[in-house]
Amino acid sequence: MSAGVGVDLENLWIRFGDFVAVRDANVNIKGGDFFSFLGPSGCGKTTILRAVSGFLDPSEGNVLIGGKNMKGVGPNKRPTALIFQNLALFPLMKVWENIAFSMEIKGASAAERRKRADELLEMIALEGQGDKLPSELSGGQRQRVAIARALCAEPHVLLLDEPLSALDLKLRQHMRTELREIQQRVGITFIYITHDQGEALTMSDSIAVMRAGVIDQIGDGKTIYNDPATPFAASFVGENNVFRGKVKQVSGDRVLVQSNRSGELLARVSTANVGKMKEGDSAMIFIRPEALELAKTGTEGDHYVSARVVNEEFEGNVFNIFMEGDGGKEIKVSLPNHGQSFDSHKGETMTLRYDVKNAVAMPAGVLATE
Amino acid sequence: MNLSFLRLSVWIYLAIFFAYLLGPLVIMAVTAFNSPSFPSATPWECLTFEWFSALFQDTRILNGIKNSIIIGAGTVVLSVLMGLAGALMLTQIWPKLRATYYTVIIAPILIPGVVLGISTLVFWDRINRMVGLGPDSVLSSGLFLTILGQSTFIASYCMLVLVARLQRYDTALTEAALDLGATHAQAFRKVLLPFMRPAIASAAVLAFLASFENYNTTTFTFGEYPTLTIELAQKVRYGISPAISALAFIIVILTVFAALTNEAAIRRRELVAAARREATVAELSGGGVKLPGFLSGNAAAGLLVALAIATIVVVGTATVYSPDQCITDIREQKRIEADLRAEELRRKRDEERKLKAAEEPAPAAPTGTGTSSGSFGGVFDPNALQNAPAAPEAEANPPAGNNSGFGGVFDPNALKGTDN
Amino acid sequence: MPRFLKDFLTRNGTGPGLVMLGLVLFWTVGLIILPQLSMLDFSFRPNLPPPEIGGPKDVYTLENYKYLVYGPEGGGQAYNAVDLMVFFRTLVAAVCVTVFNLILCYPIAYYLGQTKGNHIRVLALMLIIPYWINEILRAFALRIIFGETGVLNTILTGIGLFDTPFDFIRNDYALYAGLGYAYILLMIFPIYNVIESLDHNQIEAARDLGAPWWRIHWRVVIPYAKPGISSGCTMVFMLSAGALAAPQILGGPSSLWFTQLIYQQFNDSSDWPQGAAYAVVLLVTCILLVLAIMRLFKVNMGDIGK
Repeated sequence: MSAGVGVDLENLWIRFGDFVAVRDANVNIKGGDFFSFLGPSGCGKTTILRAVSGFLDPSEGNVLIGGKNMKGVGPNKRPTALIFQNLALFPLMKVWENIAFSMEIKGASAAERRKRADELLEMIALEGQGDKLPSELSGGQRQRVAIARALCAEPHVLLLDEPLSALDLKLRQHMRTELREIQQRVGITFIYITHDQGEALTMSDSIAVMRAGVIDQIGDGKTIYNDPATPFAASFVGENNVFRGKVKQVSGDRVLVQSNRSGELLARVSTANVGKMKEGDSAMIFIRPEALELAKTGTEGDHYVSARVVNEEFEGNVFNIFMEGDGGKEIKVSLPNHGQSFDSHKGETMTLRYDVKNAVAMPAGVLATE
Repeated sequence: MNLSFLRLSVWIYLAIFFAYLLGPLVIMAVTAFNSPSFPSATPWECLTFEWFSALFQDTRILNGIKNSIIIGAGTVVLSVLMGLAGALMLTQIWPKLRATYYTVIIAPILIPGVVLGISTLVFWDRINRMVGLGPDSVLSSGLFLTILGQSTFIASYCMLVLVARLQRYDTALTEAALDLGATHAQAFRKVLLPFMRPAIASAAVLAFLASFENYNTTTFTFGEYPTLTIELAQKVRYGISPAISALAFIIVILTVFAALTNEAAIRRRELVAAARREATVAELSGGGVKLPGFLSGNAAAGLLVALAIATIVVVGTATVYSPDQCITDIREQKRIEADLRAEELRRKRDEERKLKAAEEPAPAAPTGTGTSSGSFGGVFDPNALQNAPAAPEAEANPPAGNNSGFGGVFDPNALKGTDN
Repeated sequence: MPRFLKDFLTRNGTGPGLVMLGLVLFWTVGLIILPQLSMLDFSFRPNLPPPEIGGPKDVYTLENYKYLVYGPEGGGQAYNAVDLMVFFRTLVAAVCVTVFNLILCYPIAYYLGQTKGNHIRVLALMLIIPYWINEILRAFALRIIFGETGVLNTILTGIGLFDTPFDFIRNDYALYAGLGYAYILLMIFPIYNVIESLDHNQIEAARDLGAPWWRIHWRVVIPYAKPGISSGCTMVFMLSAGALAAPQILGGPSSLWFTQLIYQQFNDSSDWPQGAAYAVVLLVTCILLVLAIMRLFKVNMGDIGK
């Protein structure tokens, strides 16, 4: 199997008429990486993928694959293979013919094609199913056939456009592991498009978070989750509680914010924003539900929040408590279930404690709408 | 409203409707086997197959069939190609042009066929003159003009059929092929074309049928190449014969055959697909899927076989059966009846003459004769036709000696032969 | 190269794209637009023998159109009463045939579209089979029936309804029956296609709310089926007005169809420009009529052919 090569986007702009789909994207994807573009639908991530695979010409900037500029190179000449959102298996060809289509194009004999197809079928654990039609397979099996078909073309880069979105939850979780395994086995570069942060976090070496054509942040899963660069990244990836307010005092990477409802809160400035916050600015602090814990009632300080409990629910692994927050959005607290007793506090005012390194502050901005 | 009454009236309406639709064809088919040479179903005289042999000896009909097939083939190729290109263009044309473009390519369906024929004729005549070719050049050949004229609107039909299928095509399939290294031509040939094949087949059948039966356009463009339809129209306009019924009957049977074959094939595919779904992996790869028999669970296939057997029986009967005896009998019977009738008339006339002594011959029609009038109509018809000026194959037909001399005088249809 | 063309060629590949473009241009321009324009142009020219075409006498004239209205120059009458009568009779008769077909076919289309079951396939097949058979032969079949010694007259005189055979052909009944017969399918299919997609629950709901059957049709089914109805009516009207075979075979000797006049001018009197002018008049009138009715019923051109 061919080794993965790097993919670089340089000052990439893509416009459709007046609409800017991708705005000045700069990304360096290392060879052999599993790289994800994560963003809500319509953010331009599929457009980027189509520019890499060659179905779209960038309006400005360049796409480099393995260091070579791809300008003017058609999709059939690029060392990429795309797995379509709906898989796009050829409905009238048998499974093995689908898999070996790229060899048929090159004029390989039927015996050769059959042999290679059987090898790949074995790899995706579908031995002996080659004579079926795609419509006779289950969703997960079709998924694997699409991957085998793409791999058969021996691409240096595999592009995947939300390939799991049509599957049900169980299968989706299973396929995550499987995709990651395949990627590690074949060792080529995977570029993965998804709006599901769970998929992106579990599989990727690196993630780019996109919003409205702009790449907000690039980093590995832990960085994106723990140290988001923008309010959008903070609120889109995973659940997060937001506290709005004005910066009262800055010292190093610590910032004290006068919040609208919860008093003064101390937080850590996210890495990307160190030095960008000053007194009087609007700010946002993000604290994840699992980073909050119950404290003794009446305790006060700059890392305590007091609020009235509105609702409670038991989710199995966690207890969720919903409390009055600012801007109509509730503060969510998730307490892990250790088998402890849990009394209802509905209607009471309770105090929550957090660790300052888990409270991330940044200049106010657009939140993900969800 | 009472439900069962409603249901009953629905069925009565359906029955009347389909009687209107199919009745004429059934009656026409019956006339093909009846011996009178004016096509009629009543009264039934003798079972005969002579109209079929008359049909197969008619060189103009045979030549027409040949021309129709040539023109049909040309039209199928041209209109399916143009229809496919038109349909593909429709799916990706610039949105602002789309409505205009659609109007232009759908218009030929609405333009009267006569107008299409005339415009084709006039336009290519002018091109021919501009290029400076003579009147017998390719551009003014009936074959060329007819194919172009027919394709103008048949391509629109093809386009509609193909667009319906194309709308269900996922363009990602073409992109997938390109992505896997195919050229545009390869993607078209290996992915889009196989997907379109059923629609292309229907479009081709539709195009051929439309071409085969077209009259309005062809009548202006056929030149030296009269198609079957043109020949039929000439014959029907200037005198009708059961040989045409025989041709119609053959076409009906072929149509039913084709329809049943198609139905049987569809049903068969469904059964095979069902069998494949239930098959195990081992059976599939071993090629040993137990497929259902051709006839099992397939009513259309059963009917098809029955029809085939019936056809063979009828053709077999036709080769040995001779209606001569029957025809002679009927002729004899009619002669006797006619003699009696003439005798009676003569007597009446004599009586009248005696009574009134007036020189007024009885007006011909056998109006008052009640029950026997039906059979008389039959006797007189052939003569009516034979007297008509333009009925070439009727004169060539065997039943000579039918001319009992009275028919021409009595039969009101004597006039009709010259009417049209 | 314009951007549209460039995109088109990259999307389809240069070779296939050019072939496609060529075919579409040949069809739209070479077969549809130019011949129609050519006919229009031709209709404004005098009837000249071939050597004089393009010569000094070949000038534009309104003569051919004047002929339709005023008749031959120096003719006795103020108007060309014969041809004008034929023209209006054709239009009126075509409208009648269309209405007759609509009334006849709507219940069938509704029944086929809203009933489930295997017999629907059989009925559909029975509908289609007659249309695989030549138009001439279908007219011929009706002529056998309506002829003076035809089946209908034999039956009618047999049961004593008439004393003498009734001349259906001379009275044009055969013609109207034949035209109606010829285009049944073109009326049924568009309506059927639309009604089939109507959710049966809507009808059930209307019935549930107590609407009588005629109101269900008037308020629910017909508004929904309007595109299909207008499409079917347009097709049947255009085809009846432009029919040639049925009038030639089933028409009475004294009553002509407008297309027959055109036919005569081309084939019998060899006056092509005159025939072209009549064809233009027929085409333009039909299109205007259809557009007017489509405007009246608020339907779009895009619905035609569905």
